[in-house]
Amino acid sequence: MHARAMDDYSAVIAMLNHTWFGAELSPETQERLARLGELQDFEADEVILHEGDDAREMGILISGRLALRTLVPERGPVTILSVEPGDIFGWSAVLADTQAQSTVVATQPSKALVIEGIRLRAALKDDHALAASLYPRVLKAVARRLRATRLQLLDLFAR
Amino acid sequence: MITSPAPSQTAAARQWFLGRGDLDALVEAIRATGRRVIGPTIREGAIVYDEIQAAADLPAGWRDEQSAGRYRLERRNDERVFGYTVGPTTWKRFTFPPNLTIATSHRTSFGFEQHIDPPPSVAFVGVRACEIAALGIQDRVFLGSQFTDEDFRARRAAAFIVAVQCTTCSSTCFCTSMGTGPEVRGGYDIMLTEIEDGFVMAAGSPDGAAIVAKLPTRKPTHAEAGSAVDKVEAVRTQMGEPLPMAGIGERLKLQLDHPRWGQVADRCVECGNCTMSCPTCFCTSVVEKSDLDGKNSSTERQWDSCFDVAFAKVAGGDFRARPRDRYRQWLTHKFSSWWDQFGSSGCVGCGRCIAWCPVRIDVREELAAIAPPIPPVVHPVAVEPVAASPGTYSLARLASIRSETEDTTTLSLTDLDPAFLAGRPGQFVMIALPAFPAVPISISRFRADHIDLTIRAVGPTSTALDNLHPGAKVGLRGPLGTFWPIEEAYGRHAVVVAGGVGLSPLHGLVDALVANRDRFESVSLFYGSRTPEDQLFREDLAAWSSSKAIDVAVTVDRAGPEWKGRVGVVTTLFDMISWDCSKVTAFVVGPERMMQSSVQGLISKGVPADRICVSMERHMECGIGLCGHCQMAGRFVCKDGPVFRLDELGDMFNREGI
Repeated sequence: MHARAMDDYSAVIAMLNHTWFGAELSPETQERLARLGELQDFEADEVILHEGDDAREMGILISGRLALRTLVPERGPVTILSVEPGDIFGWSAVLADTQAQSTVVATQPSKALVIEGIRLRAALKDDHALAASLYPRVLKAVARRLRATRLQLLDLFAR
Repeated sequence: MITSPAPSQTAAARQWFLGRGDLDALVEAIRATGRRVIGPTIREGAIVYDEIQAAADLPAGWRDEQSAGRYRLERRNDERVFGYTVGPTTWKRFTFPPNLTIATSHRTSFGFEQHIDPPPSVAFVGVRACEIAALGIQDRVFLGSQFTDEDFRARRAAAFIVAVQCTTCSSTCFCTSMGTGPEVRGGYDIMLTEIEDGFVMAAGSPDGAAIVAKLPTRKPTHAEAGSAVDKVEAVRTQMGEPLPMAGIGERLKLQLDHPRWGQVADRCVECGNCTMSCPTCFCTSVVEKSDLDGKNSSTERQWDSCFDVAFAKVAGGDFRARPRDRYRQWLTHKFSSWWDQFGSSGCVGCGRCIAWCPVRIDVREELAAIAPPIPPVVHPVAVEPVAASPGTYSLARLASIRSETEDTTTLSLTDLDPAFLAGRPGQFVMIALPAFPAVPISISRFRADHIDLTIRAVGPTSTALDNLHPGAKVGLRGPLGTFWPIEEAYGRHAVVVAGGVGLSPLHGLVDALVANRDRFESVSLFYGSRTPEDQLFREDLAAWSSSKAIDVAVTVDRAGPEWKGRVGVVTTLFDMISWDCSKVTAFVVGPERMMQSSVQGLISKGVPADRICVSMERHMECGIGLCGHCQMAGRFVCKDGPVFRLDELGDMFNREGI
């Protein structure tokens, strides 16, 4: 992982504008997010979060691809979902005292805006405008994931 | 013998009188032409149609007492020969036998030969007006489209019809409501109307006139001719006011969610009596029987019933799993979608389904409850037999076979009838092997002198096909069905959405889109499969991905850590859509639930419903709509599909149990 200095927030805001998660946020909220987070680069195969660890960070993927994996006895790690640019990972960090639901691995060189959970929760508590903008998007991301997981559970292509 | 109904005026123009005691002369004269004579007889307390040797075999002096769930024979106080109505058997038993070997095959060094036995010459004596209408309806079903049942055609052509006008009726009769009786309007060789001492006769064909000429007849008196007319008219009066049938088809379509469907299903025991005793029901199943070495086999067809729990079990699962769905299918087919399919009602008002229902379900009551009455307007419909064209199998040679996945292979066929090469993407063929039932398979690719069929080995036929070696011969019929309307995507963003083996019927479409790339704003393929190993056409996917003609995005539902691509259902790929979706034309194939999710996803993105095409290929069965299994929302998927525009299916696409 390689963190970059955040002295030019406009570049981060420009990147957010290319994601479905951040594109329609107000300029003020975009800047708040940019200031809260840290732009990080991940190498291919780099593990970002471990399943079961405390959920300390939430990220908005700017580029690249991440895999959400879970360990299945006798089958090893199974990728259950890939995260594409624009989507979030580590959403559990929005809640206090939660654990990561899956292991997050970069499957190719990736860039993300990573926000520490403690700072994010404190900001959401203090800044109602930020909370009103962010919570629906987090909920949308979780709902999309839930819907996709349901379809996967149906095992549509089963013989 | 009859190919078109004779007008009633012709029947009335020349009449004869035959004494009751001379009826045997009629039977003898017909038998002298070499025909087996089939007529009403008494067996196990019911009037059934069977072979007779003489007029004495006919049930003289009997009447029937029928009501919902009840049938009894009683003695008459006279000796009338046709003083009853219809029993549990129908004439289709002889034109469309319940069990029939439709072909035998013998494998040769060059492929296989098929043999079909010619039908026997028969005469039907005692055919009622409603039953003639039923034969005419089956003419339309079996002979009225480009796909025909040649066995039925031969049996119909070999049948001499002696019609009998009804001079009595049961409480279950409602032919006047369906416009089929009680008077016979045509479709006979000879027509009888039984009066006090004999029969007023008319001839409806040259063969009929030739038989009449051999009988000891005389000209009927005015009183006798008048009595014949009066007795038939009395039956009409006895049946009472016709049921309000006007608009019943549309009215039923508006009541697909009526609670009565569930209520009647609670009573229905799904015995299938209504379909087995119906003179027009035509659904069948085909089984293949063979020697152990597979050199000699027979193809056997059996009547089937849409009430059977497994009737709607197709490759895509059981799409009519609930009893209410099956009852709704039967009733709406008879009185609504039959019109859409064949231009007539599927009911002739004979009342058999009422009398022989063990729980006394009366179709008339159900219609009145589900689609409430409107002012009665009856439109008598003369159901005319129509011309036909034959459909046959031709041989093709397996040029090569290629494994796509663990259980899926692509057969490349050559030495084809040129018609196959002129097919369009989205169409399919019926492929046959001796000793195995023919199966419908979409054409996955058209080449200069080959077509490709991609087959997943899930049943006996597909497994046998999977085990063929190059050089093997297969039988093909087709190309069949509707095709992708590629022209409707000209100037637009063409989006292809495929799930699993659903990429197979889309492969030819993708080829066509790429070949005509300049005609489209953009071309995209979204493809989802269960695992990376389940992806079809991996070489083609790689070639398409590396070309600039088409954007390819693939995803899998699950994968191991070695997979670096996308993981998630195919709808997650729609996030990549950045165009004005009102300018998208989409083509979707996959498992039903995947198609539903994909269609919902596309519509939520703004793609118009009339710009989304789906293929219901997993519903296909016999390939030509004759077996009835593929019916969905009043359409035969084999014949009217498999490619449909979403707006053609409307809300039927997502409706359970249609």
